[in-house]
Amino acid sequence: MPYNTELIETLSMILIITSVAAVESQNLKRAAAAYCLQALLICGLILAFAAGNSALYVWAATAFITKAILTPWFLLRYIAKTGEQEVPAIVGFGPSVVIASVLLVSFYKLTHTYVHVLAPTPEAVAGVFRTNLAVALTVFVLGLYAILSRRDAIKTVIGLCLLENAVHLSLVSLAPDMRETALIGIATEVVVTVYLLLYVIAGIREKVGSTDTYELAELHW
Amino acid sequence: MEQSAPSALTQIVFLAPAVAGLLAWLLGRVRRAVAEAFALLGSAAALVAAIGIAARVLRGEILTGWGPELRVDALSALLVLLISGVGLPSTLFSIRYMRHRRLLDRDGADVTDKRLPGFYGLYLLFLATMLWGCVTNNIIMLYVAVEATTIASGLLVAFYWDRRSLEAGYKYLMLLTVGITFALFASVLLYAAATPYLPGVNAMLISELRGVASLIPRSVAVFVVAFLVVGFGTKAGIAPFHPWLPDAHAEAPSPVSALLSGVMINMAAYALARTITIFFPVYDALTVFVVFLGGFTMLLGGVMSLVQDDLKRLLAYSSVSQMGYVIMGLGFGTYLGVYGSLFHLLHHAAAKALLFLSVGAVIYATSARSMSQLGGLGKRMPVTAACFFIGAFAISGLPPFSGFMSKLTIFLAGAQEGMWTAVGVGIFTSLLTLIVVMRAGQAIFWGAPKSAATAVSLESVREAPASLWLAMGALAGVCLLLGVYPQIAYPLLNKATLTVAGVVGH
Repeated sequence: MPYNTELIETLSMILIITSVAAVESQNLKRAAAAYCLQALLICGLILAFAAGNSALYVWAATAFITKAILTPWFLLRYIAKTGEQEVPAIVGFGPSVVIASVLLVSFYKLTHTYVHVLAPTPEAVAGVFRTNLAVALTVFVLGLYAILSRRDAIKTVIGLCLLENAVHLSLVSLAPDMRETALIGIATEVVVTVYLLLYVIAGIREKVGSTDTYELAELHW
Repeated sequence: MEQSAPSALTQIVFLAPAVAGLLAWLLGRVRRAVAEAFALLGSAAALVAAIGIAARVLRGEILTGWGPELRVDALSALLVLLISGVGLPSTLFSIRYMRHRRLLDRDGADVTDKRLPGFYGLYLLFLATMLWGCVTNNIIMLYVAVEATTIASGLLVAFYWDRRSLEAGYKYLMLLTVGITFALFASVLLYAAATPYLPGVNAMLISELRGVASLIPRSVAVFVVAFLVVGFGTKAGIAPFHPWLPDAHAEAPSPVSALLSGVMINMAAYALARTITIFFPVYDALTVFVVFLGGFTMLLGGVMSLVQDDLKRLLAYSSVSQMGYVIMGLGFGTYLGVYGSLFHLLHHAAAKALLFLSVGAVIYATSARSMSQLGGLGKRMPVTAACFFIGAFAISGLPPFSGFMSKLTIFLAGAQEGMWTAVGVGIFTSLLTLIVVMRAGQAIFWGAPKSAATAVSLESVREAPASLWLAMGALAGVCLLLGVYPQIAYPLLNKATLTVAGVVGH
């Protein structure tokens, strides 16, 4: 296969680092910028894989429009309304960076070694596809970590975006022959969900005066 | 022998409410009555199409549309009938209910009133996406449809736009989207694993996937099932993925609660039944896991409903509990178990929608929904009280109402399999449900309010308007009919049960 292994692995490593930057940046604008950079790297990665499968050019275009343009635009628009500074997370900055780094290294190593357990076909874990799948699963875990550890509602949305990026990325290894209509359906729904969440969060900010999810304690048991 | 036949009904059933929703939103801005008319029209068209579909399926046809993309067998027909059957009474109920200014006051009546065309637009879109999910034969599109139901209903949950409803809306959108992402991952894995055995688009078709379930590597199958349970299970309100459910179902306007609790979680259970049961014949242990999940869910929901003062939260927790029965019946994996599970889906749709609408009628008359604030409404609201108790008897499993027959079938299936602990948990939860709903009924219709300071004055309370109890009456009739004459549902339920993969072998 005519894949540029070095390029794919370099882009993959930078992509993981953008996840950590998006999770750990306490300035929401910078977190959104890190997310945008990650989206561009995903486009680059899909283009690199398109050398072996021309159908992926449509995927790259879909990712560019939905993830690199629309989602960051929505995020920045609502961050301008709700404020740039993130509500302090459950864990402090230092410990959080350590947790994220440990998650990154250990999960990448674990998935890269044992991803064949999850792989539906031998091709999905051959060569650069194994790296891609391990990267996708690591980004997925970092996204989950952001959702679970962050109190700021906008930051949890960024965590959700990472989760969705991970699934999008995994499709390159798992389902490269998936039809464009299915892919466009998935990508469109993610954008609409993110927009709705931000719309509701702006309403919360208006009524509660904060985007702190700890303030959302009216409903319990 | 069933024959496939292309039919436009497979598209009409979900496109009609979708188009009506768009028109309600666009033209309803000019005049609110136009939005209401389109809402009724769209819901009625879906029900008519669903009846047409059911009639043809009962004649032995499997309806298809857009090539193999849409496929309506008996299981799909049952769900389509159930969704549109609850959809029309709920829409009828919403017309007067949503006009009530006292209820619109939560974010300022004038502001909320202006959002009504949007409400009906989203309401019909919600109905349409649920129907679409039940007729699609594409596993990726099943995910897309299930997520689309969340998108369509997210703003309906937050409709009143006050602190409580916004909190519920945020949790609803966030938790369900995270959960459903697992289902997407599972669907992609399943598709990828089937690709070597099924050419092209066939690997996405649910009808084809069951044939290759045994060829999928065991480790992959384990991940697929686990992720499907997390994904669709979150949407179905299965414990421990249920925390969004009481918030969303309680804070949404009552007709939306009826759809959320009555049919949306049933649709998610359908998605689960369609997908995980393809592995039942290959992995026997899976059925025990599903039975355990069902037992845990029913018990947790039952206990949590016991401590609620808010009537809508009480009903929402009861929905968690009732989903436990559906999952348990499915888990038995036998003909009788699956039959009971599908019968319970049908019963729960009617009974829970009826209970939410009855509580909605109480809220309409009193603007209150806490048991401690209410009491002695029976004489003032006899029709609502009668409807509430029919729903309560049905949900508790008392004869001669629908829940008795569905629960009895599930218990018999459990006994046949020798799973006595599961049967015991089911019977115990039934007793809990009986205590919970009878206590609630007694408190609001006969008893005196616990808190005199916040008690609702009975003087101004009037029976709900005719359109409200017409909607409730229709659902009460279904609860009674299914209990007295359960054979009426047999032809469709029997076919639907045989459709679910795995049961034929038992």
